[in-house]
Amino acid sequence: MLPNSINMQKGPIQVLLADDDEDDRLLFQDAFKEIKLKTEVQLVYDGVELMEYLSQEGAMKPHVLFLDLNMPRKNGMDCLDEIRLDESLKDIAVVIYSTSASDEDIEETFVRGANVYIRKPNNFNELKKILEKVITINWQYHTSGLNKENFLLSF
Amino acid sequence: MFNKYKPIFNSSFFLSIVFVSALFILIFISGVSYRYTTSLTDSSALMVHSYKIRSELEQLVTILKDAESGHRGFILTRDSLFLHPSLSIREKINKAFTTLRELTKNNFQQQKNLDSLNTLINLRIAILYNTLNISTSGAYNQDQISQSLVRGEQQTMLVREQVNDMIDFELMYLKVHQDLFEHEISLSPLYTLLLLLFSLLVFIFAYFKINKDIKKLKNSNEELSIAYEAINHAEEIGEFSSWQWHLDSNEFKYSDNQYRLLGHEPRSFESSLHKFLEFVHPQDRHILLESGDRIINERVEPTTVFFRVIRKDGQLRYFKSIGKLFTDAGQNKIIIGIHWDITEQHLNRISLEERNKELEQSNAELATFNHIASHDLQEPLRIIQTYISRISEKEIVNMSKTTIGYFGRIQASIERIRILINDLLLYSRTNKGERNFELIDLNVLLENAKVELMQSLEDKNAIVQADPLPQMNVIPFQIQQLFINLIGNSLKFSKAGRYPVIRITCEEVVNKNNNSEVVNTENRYNRISIQDNGIGFDQQYAETIFVLFRRLHMKNDYPGSGIGLSICKKIVENHGGYITARGIPDIGATFDIFLPI
Repeated sequence: MLPNSINMQKGPIQVLLADDDEDDRLLFQDAFKEIKLKTEVQLVYDGVELMEYLSQEGAMKPHVLFLDLNMPRKNGMDCLDEIRLDESLKDIAVVIYSTSASDEDIEETFVRGANVYIRKPNNFNELKKILEKVITINWQYHTSGLNKENFLLSF
Repeated sequence: MFNKYKPIFNSSFFLSIVFVSALFILIFISGVSYRYTTSLTDSSALMVHSYKIRSELEQLVTILKDAESGHRGFILTRDSLFLHPSLSIREKINKAFTTLRELTKNNFQQQKNLDSLNTLINLRIAILYNTLNISTSGAYNQDQISQSLVRGEQQTMLVREQVNDMIDFELMYLKVHQDLFEHEISLSPLYTLLLLLFSLLVFIFAYFKINKDIKKLKNSNEELSIAYEAINHAEEIGEFSSWQWHLDSNEFKYSDNQYRLLGHEPRSFESSLHKFLEFVHPQDRHILLESGDRIINERVEPTTVFFRVIRKDGQLRYFKSIGKLFTDAGQNKIIIGIHWDITEQHLNRISLEERNKELEQSNAELATFNHIASHDLQEPLRIIQTYISRISEKEIVNMSKTTIGYFGRIQASIERIRILINDLLLYSRTNKGERNFELIDLNVLLENAKVELMQSLEDKNAIVQADPLPQMNVIPFQIQQLFINLIGNSLKFSKAGRYPVIRITCEEVVNKNNNSEVVNTENRYNRISIQDNGIGFDQQYAETIFVLFRRLHMKNDYPGSGIGLSICKKIVENHGGYITARGIPDIGATFDIFLPI
């Protein structure tokens, strides 16, 4: 069980962000640079690129995937479905990373098998805090798929 | 519908009975009269018969007497002229006997009597001629003559007695028969009179009955013609027509207005199915014929069809037709129906449908636009805010005082935009169609709202005092939002130097004069009042504050989008309720939410 072992990971934690917004990617990277955790951040620009990246033979599978919902070509919902259907990708912890936090989106992504839902904060400090929280989370609770109360993570 | 004619059928049945019974009475009376007359005739014939017998008998006596007195005259005078009556005595008596025999041939007793009479008469005649012989012989002997005369007289007496007996018998016979006749016919006149009176009564009764029926018939005829007129006018005004299709005779009749609907003068041509079909749009004729089959075969509910008609002037009209099969009293099958010219409604409906579609589309567009605009506007805003937060963290030491001031203003403005966008998003979500009502404890929703407002409540040292609230069938997230907005409103407009105290009360009220369209319905509501001790407002603005983007205060004094209370109004209306506000400047404001139970 890969997600369970994130916390005990010896090497750097592999983080992948799928987001079409350049600023968001930049801030995301900056935030991880300032977090005192050993992480390796990879970036993809949209859903299609994400699925191509994940399907590469022999590529390093990320431990945590941050997935934006609103993306061109292939949106986050579709990617989530594909990931959860793919046996080789089922261990990836999927964190929905979205501007909106509408009830429908939260409900929908929970049902489709996302592990955590976070809303993009509008303050850099808060961004750092919540990303740190996500990485150091006790994944035991969040992979059971039954914990709806903790699904929406706030800082 | 044919039952209506039943009373008249009854009446004619009654008249038949009257007629038949009167006929029988008359036949009976005729029979009785005939018998009466026959009896009378028989009786008089019998009397004549009896009289003839008696007169013949008397005649016999007279013939004898004539001969006797002739002989006496001759004996006294010796004049042979006196013998003249006795010359043909035998002949005369035989003739009288023949007549008597004939007359009494059916009467055995009288025949016997006649036989004895004959003997007596023959003896008398023998004595008569014996006396004559004595007187004419030379040995005239006075004693002999006297003796013979006395014998003759005695014999005559016997004849007389026999004749009298026979006459008596005849009279008795007559009397017996007369009595019989009398007995037979004595009651007849009374019977006849009574029967005549009875039949007279029956006729009088029948006359009045018929008169009444005729009056009734006349009245219903009048009513019928009035109804007919009314229907004619109604058809003309309502642009419909009625028709009847007699299946047995294949007659197809339609009302006057049918002609008008087809663009013709009433009755300008013979009505028939074929003729009507000529006006129906060629593509729609099968609809009509198929519906006819359906009515005949299935004959359950009235059948409705729609078809097009091309009028005489070439105009295309839309018709609706409803027909149903009926069976009348005579077991005739008739389809009765109505044609309706629904062209106006049809065209209106089409344009309405089109406009509705347009409206739905533009509504959907608006919702999408609203949602996307709010969403997509938030993205760059968030980025700006995040960068600002980075700058204010890292670079603020390098900034001049003025720049820091400007920077603060930028931050405040951006916060305002953010609130505005959030509220707009909320407002559009409140508008959205999906409304999932569920029975929920309002106290829970109030608690959730308080948790949401925790920070502000603490910052302002505010107190919320709430009565226990009921359970209600509501859209939970909307009612929660309602509490958040109203309590938030009270906090925002709290009066400086006074800790905000917000009282929430609830009671059941009955509102009779609500703007309900139904009269006399009691509308039961839960009135939830949220009262604060803030700055209040002038009552003249009680309506205005609920209007979208309307604000009573300067932006800088009390920040806000002007959407909050509009959302409240929307939410309450979504629940079929209404919201009112009462305010006293510097004392406080009260919002009353009326939610229907």
